[in-house]
Amino acid sequence: MATRMKLKLKTVFVLYFMVSLLGLVYALMQLGQRCDCTEHDMPKDRTISRLRGELHRLQEKMRKAESTKQPQKSQPKPSLPTIFVITPTYARLVQKAELTRLSQTFLHVPQLHWIVVEDSPHKTPLVSEFLAKSGLPYTHLHMPTAKDRKLQEGDPSWLKPRGVEQRNEGLRWLREDRRAQPGGDSQQGVVYFADDDNTYSVPLFDEMRNTQRVSVWPVGLVGGMKYERPVVEGGKVVRFHTGWRPSRPFPMDMAGFAVSLKLVLANPEACFDGEAPMGFLESSFLQGLVTMDELEPKADNCSKVLVWHTRTEKPKMKREEALQAQGLGSDPAVEV
Amino acid sequence: MPKRRDIVAIVLIVLPWTLLITVWHQSAITPLLATRKDDRGDGRSNSRNTFAFKESCSPQNRDIVEVVRTEYVYSRPPPWSDILPAIHVITPTYSRPVQKAELTRLANTLLHVPNLHWILVEDGQKRTPLVSRLLRDTGLNYTHLNVETPRNYKVRGDTRDPRIPRGTIQRNLALRWLRETFNINNSQAGIVYFADDDNTYSLELFEEMRSTKKVSVWPVAFVGGLRYESPKVNTFGKVYGWKTVFDPHRPFAIDMAGFAVNLRLILSKPQAYFKLRGVKGGYQESSLLKELVTLNDLEPKASNCTKVLVWHTRTEKPVLVNEGKKGFTDSNVEI
Repeated sequence: MATRMKLKLKTVFVLYFMVSLLGLVYALMQLGQRCDCTEHDMPKDRTISRLRGELHRLQEKMRKAESTKQPQKSQPKPSLPTIFVITPTYARLVQKAELTRLSQTFLHVPQLHWIVVEDSPHKTPLVSEFLAKSGLPYTHLHMPTAKDRKLQEGDPSWLKPRGVEQRNEGLRWLREDRRAQPGGDSQQGVVYFADDDNTYSVPLFDEMRNTQRVSVWPVGLVGGMKYERPVVEGGKVVRFHTGWRPSRPFPMDMAGFAVSLKLVLANPEACFDGEAPMGFLESSFLQGLVTMDELEPKADNCSKVLVWHTRTEKPKMKREEALQAQGLGSDPAVEV
Repeated sequence: MPKRRDIVAIVLIVLPWTLLITVWHQSAITPLLATRKDDRGDGRSNSRNTFAFKESCSPQNRDIVEVVRTEYVYSRPPPWSDILPAIHVITPTYSRPVQKAELTRLANTLLHVPNLHWILVEDGQKRTPLVSRLLRDTGLNYTHLNVETPRNYKVRGDTRDPRIPRGTIQRNLALRWLRETFNINNSQAGIVYFADDDNTYSLELFEEMRSTKKVSVWPVAFVGGLRYESPKVNTFGKVYGWKTVFDPHRPFAIDMAGFAVNLRLILSKPQAYFKLRGVKGGYQESSLLKELVTLNDLEPKASNCTKVLVWHTRTEKPVLVNEGKKGFTDSNVEI
């Protein structure tokens, strides 16, 4: 009797082990596959996966739209000349805001390379992080302005030229970078100096893209006038319409011209002269590069305004300063 | 001897069950992880117009993923989605030399935001061709309205009849338009945001406000004479006050750019408008918000109001000294 009982127990045990082993194997196989997780799904996860699906659907739509557009485009993207935009910038309260809205415009322009040059002895984390997240192809440089050349607190903005060292640094980098890449293709391009507080419309970049030497166009809200512009007769620039010192060689604003990369590389000595008298900064650069009749007028023979020389107010910080005097200033860790 | 055998027996009995339970527990979670990884993989495999995802590890805290654009589709608003809540951006504007520039760069910003509807309200007797043309050329989904602020309101009046804050009548018109156009029962989910034409907005801001259920709030830079003003948020994620110096005891001590309202809430409270008269400086936002929501219902965004995603920039008035009395430049050229 006892042995039979024992045997039965043994078989029971063996059966039990077999069953549990099989169950384990089955569960392990289930690991690799997706289960029906409606019981486990939290509403947030459901929203996330739904939104993700939506995003994919929209991406598909965009890709389809792009592919139908492609055959109508005249040239495939790679042969579009790159626009190198050189932007000097310096740390102040509105810096991040200015760079943000500038990048939002640049994101609409294909084949644009943004060269940001900080007026600083080293690269600041604010600009570094910003550029990394911007989604634009960029080069981050820095060049401090000598102290005696720098505007002091309370100086009017026209007292000393600004951005000179930074623009020259941008040119220097560009020349060095292009020298390292021989070949005709890398010589194609346009160089444009874009200050971080101006306003640029997207069609402007289309206008400047095929610059052969130096192209020019009107600039709004500059020189104490609604706009300044080159006067075009017979497809050539004959004089300049400006309210201030029209006898300058090139009485234009920095935002009113673009130079072809070829010309910049062919004249390695051409740069901005910080010692030039007020208003002659642009001329100091362009004089060595081109004559007035070689200028290429854009924007419908210089009759349309596609760029505005806007300036941003300095935000009033009276209360902030008062708080800081009490040691209760806003959290400096919060980046503005 | 029997003791050891018993122990072995017990262990051998218990072991498979514990393994089974842990495996079962795992399998409940891994399919969720597997879905996420697969989607990320799919996202990268698309060649040209790709968005790379940067996700946070704990999706319970953030409903929104950070999108880093690697390549971009140019100069065109993203296609309309039927699921994403629409953002109705109400912008009052008025004619002045920098108007076209301001609207141009604001449009360049808004062109990046999916499901955006721009409601531009001009302060004028009629809609100007400048604005009409600009709106048409952007390709944005827009509505162009206009209403003139009565002249005695515009002028810096005497103390008996103080000047009403600029843009109020225009914003109210936009609210009325929304209430006349959308039905509370059968319209796509929407968010209403008041965006002035000279501020600066980051693209992240629009994604933060998209999940607004009632009224959401966040910090705004360069207002109230501070680096930024922000709501005070406690550890439970609820707003309990305002970190401002200028009258922090206002019901809603927040700038126009610092909050967004769910469209449903606007439609359900048809009497809620910005108060026109008798509003003290800085109380305009409160005049609307107190009709819509209480402090407790506010939803803090931007990482519990610790990040600045909108800046109250102001553009200098250009000095047009050289124009002279008659105007030096050709008035036919639009600026």
